[in-house]
Amino acid sequence: MKTIKILHMYADMLDLYGDSGNMEIMKYRCTMRGIGCEIDKYSVDSPMPDFSAYDLIYIGGGADLEQQHISADLLKCREGIVNAYKNGTFLFLICGGYQLMGKYYRDADGNDIKGLGLFDYFTVAPNSRRKRCIGNIVVQTEITGKPVKVLGFENHGGQTQNVKTPFGKVLYGNGNCSKSECEGYFEKNVIATYLHGPMLSKNPEISDYMIEYCINRSADAPEKLVPLDDKLEKECRKVMLDRLLKG
Amino acid sequence: MKRLLILIGKIIVKLLKLMKRNAGNLPGIILWHLSGHKAVSMFTVDCPIIAVTGTNGKTSVTNCIARLFEKSGKKIIINREGNNLDTGICSLLLRYCDMSGKVDADYLILETDESHVPVVYSQLKLDTLVVLNFFRDQLDRNGEMETLIQKINGFCKTFEGNLILNGDDPNTARLGRANPKNKNVRYFHAEPYAFATDKIFEASEGRFCPFCGETLEYDYYQYSHIGKFICKKCGFGDHKPYITASGIDLEKPEFTADGHKYSPKLNSIYNVYNMTAVAGAAKLYGIDRKITNEVISGYTVKNGRMENFMLGDRKTTLNLAKNPVGANMTLRVMNEMQGEKELLFVLNDNVADGLDVSWIWDINFSIFERVTRVVTSGTRAHDIAVRIKCSGYPQENIVVRPDLDKAVEELAKTEGRKFVIANYTAVQPTRSSLKRYIAKHGGKTE
Repeated sequence: MKTIKILHMYADMLDLYGDSGNMEIMKYRCTMRGIGCEIDKYSVDSPMPDFSAYDLIYIGGGADLEQQHISADLLKCREGIVNAYKNGTFLFLICGGYQLMGKYYRDADGNDIKGLGLFDYFTVAPNSRRKRCIGNIVVQTEITGKPVKVLGFENHGGQTQNVKTPFGKVLYGNGNCSKSECEGYFEKNVIATYLHGPMLSKNPEISDYMIEYCINRSADAPEKLVPLDDKLEKECRKVMLDRLLKG
Repeated sequence: MKRLLILIGKIIVKLLKLMKRNAGNLPGIILWHLSGHKAVSMFTVDCPIIAVTGTNGKTSVTNCIARLFEKSGKKIIINREGNNLDTGICSLLLRYCDMSGKVDADYLILETDESHVPVVYSQLKLDTLVVLNFFRDQLDRNGEMETLIQKINGFCKTFEGNLILNGDDPNTARLGRANPKNKNVRYFHAEPYAFATDKIFEASEGRFCPFCGETLEYDYYQYSHIGKFICKKCGFGDHKPYITASGIDLEKPEFTADGHKYSPKLNSIYNVYNMTAVAGAAKLYGIDRKITNEVISGYTVKNGRMENFMLGDRKTTLNLAKNPVGANMTLRVMNEMQGEKELLFVLNDNVADGLDVSWIWDINFSIFERVTRVVTSGTRAHDIAVRIKCSGYPQENIVVRPDLDKAVEELAKTEGRKFVIANYTAVQPTRSSLKRYIAKHGGKTE
């Protein structure tokens, strides 16, 4: 049996807006296909893991307070994460996880939280805590090779700037900054996005993109995934896309 | 100017009455604009004000505290319909004030929205603030939990009145340190009940000490992050309770507080916490023991909070769940019950619910035991269906019926025990739909 290995970082602290649901969905979609899905957890004070041993590293989002708590710990993991990323480990990053991989996050009081600096973008929170990008969002991405509408819910103060390769184009909602055209950050083995929801609950194609990447990254002959019965997910998407895009 | 505003307000109330419209919020909204956003500043209140705030249980506790005073023969004013923003409280006081804006009562008991405590009580002098708990709830409306707590904490820094705080919730207990000069801080506490755990059961806030950042350690968790906690580094959590619920037995149900045994009608741990807060307020205001007993033992609710219906001969229990804590609690009650059962989950995403439905992913559906079928309904019927499916529940046992009446028909089609979970704006329509079913097919409401 094929097995993919996932490292879920700071699950106990960065778990806002149902982000842990993404792991439940990854596991579900693997299990339904007879693919093994091992999810290890890492948090502050855990022994240093071998990051390169994982096919995918996942970090969710948290409130400012939690983000401050983990940033120092995350910096200790920098070398391991950089090596894993260079070896082709997939990085799946939501909200806080997305911000912390950039150069820095400047909070509402003007304090800088240092990021890992893996990518060139940086994030600045507005002075007022009331100014947040909140609401349903639809992003069109081409990462799977064809246009896919990705549905989620954004709730962030931070404005992420200097993104060269965004995850997708905003069709409804805000994106990286208030009323911006683009959302998230993308490389072939990186999806970084503000989308909660949790994101994968309404976008099975994105979960499958990552699962396919993971099972094929060391394979000589790439395999296609067996399709699943996504009747409920499809209906759910239709209801929301009709509501948001046809309104 | 104040008199003019009062006059305008009173005229609007009268007009709405003539038009047979509910004057719940509109007069307050108009005065809010006219008064430069200080909707309650034009009133003169000489009597003590008691405010109740927190995520869950505000309405219950506000009503019970009001009854304590009512039964003691006092004249009270209360926002019973839950109009708990500054505009709602303004509309309420407009109805009870004279033309000079003077409000005549012995006590004002006001349920107050968490985010509106500083706004309202910077304009009206507060005698006592009761803070029940802080959970994730409608996060997209209020921004992050921490912002909300900071707001109330800011208010507490200069507040010198009575604070009655849930001592078992680190999010509320921390308010007790906001103003070191305030000698009127009191905590309520509950000893572990039969289903208390030594590990946390549900997703929650408040893992770290807000003062030094150390991980909080717990002797036990009652539900979510509510339990006996301590910060080993700075001692946060070492407060002495003013009132403690002990001998909690939810089977009977009963508990003891301040040396007196109470037999409440509702059998949930959160009712015990709510009633301990009520007993704390009673103790503070020197209410007669007999009256306190009548209020706590007599309190029951018919507003979709563990409310029972008979759909024909199928016993059905409806419970409101505004957040994962409430939903997890219902799932626990379902599991504690033997035999097969079916669940209807009604999920809306109206503004008052919070537009974000991601909280359903913090509900622990993997604990489902002997649940033979799930029906989903509401404006986000499909989202809850997907969520339950991904917990590993068989897709073929899930029926999606966005239309409520159809969903209730579907639920009642089969025999056996039924449970219904509905979120905030879904609960009243669900009650109506259950009643329509009963009117059509027989059964009864309790």
